[in-house]
Amino acid sequence: MMAPFFKFGMFGEETSLVLAFVIGIGFGFALERAGFGSAKKLVSQFYLNDLAVFKVMFTAIVTAMLGVTYLAWFGLLDLSLVYVTPTYVLPGIVGGLVLGFGFVVGGYCPGTSVAAMATGKIDALVYGAGMLFGTFVFAEIYPLVERFHESTLLGPVTIPQYFNLPYGLVVFAVVAVAIAGFYGASVVERLVAARAKER
Amino acid sequence: MKRRLSTLGVNQRLAMLALVLGLVAVFAAPTGGSRVTLDPKDLAVIVAKEVDHVRVQDLADWIITGRSDYRLIDLRDERSYAEYHIPTAENVPLASLLDRGLARNEKIVLYSDGGIHAAQAWFLLVANGFKGAYTLFGGLDEWKDQILFPRLAEKPTPEEAARDARIREISLHFGGQPQTGAEAAAAPARALPKVDLPAGAPAPRPAAKKRKEGC
Repeated sequence: MMAPFFKFGMFGEETSLVLAFVIGIGFGFALERAGFGSAKKLVSQFYLNDLAVFKVMFTAIVTAMLGVTYLAWFGLLDLSLVYVTPTYVLPGIVGGLVLGFGFVVGGYCPGTSVAAMATGKIDALVYGAGMLFGTFVFAEIYPLVERFHESTLLGPVTIPQYFNLPYGLVVFAVVAVAIAGFYGASVVERLVAARAKER
Repeated sequence: MKRRLSTLGVNQRLAMLALVLGLVAVFAAPTGGSRVTLDPKDLAVIVAKEVDHVRVQDLADWIITGRSDYRLIDLRDERSYAEYHIPTAENVPLASLLDRGLARNEKIVLYSDGGIHAAQAWFLLVANGFKGAYTLFGGLDEWKDQILFPRLAEKPTPEEAARDARIREISLHFGGQPQTGAEAAAAPARALPKVDLPAGAPAPRPAAKKRKEGC
């Protein structure tokens, strides 16, 4: 049997919802245990005194990437069938800036805000209300932004495809960048901590 | 070496493991091109279980709820397509099926007038490694019979009435005309709904949304 399972009818919609529920609880649990249910923890990465968010996210990326690579190598997953979201260059950049801005100001990203809501944090509730309101506003003004929203389409490309590099090389490069990043992050944390002490 | 390894923390060990796995991946990972093997047994199972079919009722639901995780492909010629096609369908003649940028990771629903061309196109796609190919069961003929011009009972029992109301609603949504009893048997009025669109352009969704408000 080969993955992806749901898309090709190996189980139905109901089963997929049950699985989504179980995986969602696992994800929320992991976020909360990593301390990401607190806006202080999340925002402190932008002040460079605690880069846990960066480390956890990059660890998750590397773990998932290696998992997918090896599943594909062992013939358990057909990579060419995995959905790749299409890239819209300019909307992607603008959307990323908006998200980053909201992350620094509000102290959460969408996923962590929901995890924080579950532990009863009022700031997360307000953040969630803002998210819903923003979604509503976007839907209402969609006709105005539609042209931009659908501009500069690059299609569902991946890094190996776009740069015409061997898949395995990109995997290795990402692992190497991650490890260098982890090292760099710990250096930055130490420097910031030392400077804080001087004051 | 062994002693040095034991002085490393968990994080460092995990990092080393990741590095090793990444290094192996350089030589081992799939390069993208994948071979397609058709297993007659697999095919037989798919055909027997009919998992390669999408029922017209399900498709109607998908269109009404605005699902967009699939592509609906009309395999007929341009003229028939311009005359009528199921909303949201794209016109892709069989000959150009493989050069129309369909991706192997997409869910693709094929339809033709009956079911034969769709089934042939389905096989073409499956043989080329498309795993998400489906055919509309009964094709456009079934769509017309079940969705656009459904036969409703003349003197429905209460259960039938509830079911018929739903069928009628769906039919009207797609601009069809539900047929009742004798009138239908005598001279079925089957004027196809107008598709005032340039051929090739996907049908707009807003039309569907507007109708929904009335419900």
